Amino acid sequence: MWRGNKMNQTMGINWIGLYTMVRREAARMARIPIQAFIAPWISALLFIFIFGSVVGGRISQIGGHRYLEFVLPGVLMLNIVNAAFIQASTAIYFSRFIKFVEEMLVAPLSYVEMIVGSLSVVVLRSTITGIGILLMGIGFGATHIESWPMFLFWIVSVSTVFGLLGLIVGLWSKSFEQLNMPVVFLLTPLSMVGGVFNTIAMLPAKLQWLAYANPFFYFINGIRGAMIGYDEAPQGLGIGLTLGLLVVLGVTAWRLYAKGYGLRE
Amino acid sequence: MTPALSISHLRKVYRSGTVAVEDISLTIPEGEFFGFLGPNGAGKSTTIHCITGVAEPSSGKIEIFGIDAVKNYREARRLVGLCPQEFNVDPFANARQIVDWMGGYFGMGAKQRKERTDYLIERFDLVPHQKKQFRELSGGLKRRVVLARALINDPKLIILDEPTAGVDVELRRVLWRYLAEINKDGRTILLTSHYLEEVERLCRHVAIVSKGRVVREGTKDEIAGSPGGLENAYLIATGAEPDHVAGQ
Repeated sequence: MWRGNKMNQTMGINWIGLYTMVRREAARMARIPIQAFIAPWISALLFIFIFGSVVGGRISQIGGHRYLEFVLPGVLMLNIVNAAFIQASTAIYFSRFIKFVEEMLVAPLSYVEMIVGSLSVVVLRSTITGIGILLMGIGFGATHIESWPMFLFWIVSVSTVFGLLGLIVGLWSKSFEQLNMPVVFLLTPLSMVGGVFNTIAMLPAKLQWLAYANPFFYFINGIRGAMIGYDEAPQGLGIGLTLGLLVVLGVTAWRLYAKGYGLRE
Repeated sequence: MTPALSISHLRKVYRSGTVAVEDISLTIPEGEFFGFLGPNGAGKSTTIHCITGVAEPSSGKIEIFGIDAVKNYREARRLVGLCPQEFNVDPFANARQIVDWMGGYFGMGAKQRKERTDYLIERFDLVPHQKKQFRELSGGLKRRVVLARALINDPKLIILDEPTAGVDVELRRVLWRYLAEINKDGRTILLTSHYLEEVERLCRHVAIVSKGRVVREGTKDEIAGSPGGLENAYLIATGAEPDHVAGQ
């Protein structure tokens, strides 16, 4: 007679299932180190070298900081946003495309666990990407952290926001073309004009409102405040916006998972 | 006694409007070896997808050992192992990872997972292939990996959707022996297959579906015992013409 399997029989959080999702995605990342880490690090190195060091050498200080110190937080945030979005969107899209997402659907994992598992990997990838860029900054003598709690808050919360957005886009996409659309038309342009390389005061007065209307400005402003203590908008505004986005995107992702949108037949 | 699987008026309509399952009701007692037969497109795989959570039922009720498979899906899924018809596997993962990760999703601890994975890898002759990527394996070896994955959680209800399609005679016999053994040990098995010989050999109870409905159900002896055997009964039930009729 069947004696029953010895697995955890309680219906609490499936920690092992969550950990397995992280292990699995870590194995996938290990298979694509150039795409996952080397490419963003080279891109960041070029930004730091050209804008921070070559061009920055000709720019006077901003708020008492070298231009390289001003640029580094923005470059860091740019790469964290991209890493988070690409990790979440490609992982869910690939698993749908090949259909191995069914492994999770037939397992005793709740929708929240599936989302949290995916986001844990997103934060892991963003953090590794970020550590690499911080080490480069140290090499250029430009890495400072004024407030570790706020620095960690921005890394984790922004990674999670774009991880959730990536999950939603990954569920919605029906082709690789659609998967790339948000990066091309939304993430790259908005982050570039979100104050990575310039202060708002450098913009023409008539265009300054555009920066304030750009959510990326608040993410970059936030991490810059945490790193070098320089900000151009109240930190509370950025924190509120980020937490609001977390709630809206989190509820949207949960509803999509619960409805099986893009997942179930 | 609570049945292993109870399906009541299951209906599944896809977003495209295609009615895959019209109205299926089934009760499979615990310990049964149940054959689920029907032509391609009859609704077998869709029914299985609804049982296991791959598809959302449009209406009807599914209970696994008395647990609602939709409302209490986590409890229900803990009791089920699915070997799907298609290879829904990460092609870049190796055979061992595929089996081990599935155990992880089911909440099995590392020691238990290792023991069970070792056992299944050995049982399905996958030891020399366990470190190979799934995409590098032959069709038969891929099928073995997917079978091992389905059994990692030592499920009470095992659902096998054409598990021997495209595999050689040797594996088919290995699998038959194994299935007979675990069924004897108390597991309930739901098997779909186009090989009627396989169904006759293994199953004690058979349901034939056609156009999304159960058109014949009974013990294998009842159905296969009719003139012309199981094949004839199948052809009549599904509306196809048996040879002896076609030849007249």
